[in-house]
Amino acid sequence: MITTKIGVISCSGEECLGGTISRLAVRKMMEELKPGMVSTLCLPLFIAGDGGEREFAEKYPTIAVDGCSKCCAKRAIEKYSNRVAGSVDVAEIIGEAKALDKPLSTRNLADEHMEYVKQTADKTCQIFDKILAKQ
Amino acid sequence: MVTEEKCPNDTETLCLAHVVTGDDEVVAKIKGATCITMDGCAKYCAKKSVEETGGIVVKSHKVPDFMKAHRGEEHGTGTALTEDGWNYAVELAEIMVEDVKEIKAGVN
Repeated sequence: MITTKIGVISCSGEECLGGTISRLAVRKMMEELKPGMVSTLCLPLFIAGDGGEREFAEKYPTIAVDGCSKCCAKRAIEKYSNRVAGSVDVAEIIGEAKALDKPLSTRNLADEHMEYVKQTADKTCQIFDKILAKQ
Repeated sequence: MVTEEKCPNDTETLCLAHVVTGDDEVVAKIKGATCITMDGCAKYCAKKSVEETGGIVVKSHKVPDFMKAHRGEEHGTGTALTEDGWNYAVELAEIMVEDVKEIKAGVN
């Protein structure tokens, strides 16, 4: 039984495809790849400083999944809580140009985009498993 | 839906995290600009953050405010919406489209 929590904070990126990919990748982890093992936090709420979000990331290892190289999630965690336990930048996986493409409605996602989601989720899972192995 | 499909020439969406972190480019766009916010919960992160950044929030909504007429519907999850979920999203988008029309009528 897993008793230690691991957090994952996704980009809120409404502006670009990378944001959509990052959010779906975190959902994929939560629902398919690591069900019941992942705690996710709302990035705007985390940055705004409300609730126990910052406290969570201070206490527990937290992974940032960012949609573009501005890395808001990573920077926010390190500014307000603690060093990130790991970070994933979607732009490094699918390329900066694609990551900065227009955001897509989830109704319009093609197989290509779902492959990006899978790759991002897989990379985040690798980091997750390393953290878990150390505990 | 609003910025890409319904009012692409009149609206633009910005990443909320960039607003909250005070990204220079985003702050410059928002300061003094007419803004509509649609928040997902009563914490009003979008509205508060836009106001703090200097945006003029002329219309502010939150998703739960319109739920009453949809009681009992299953809207899906953060990963995938159901047909009812998409219909609700369209309804919310239409509310913002009306906002855009009102704002334009007032400005012009």
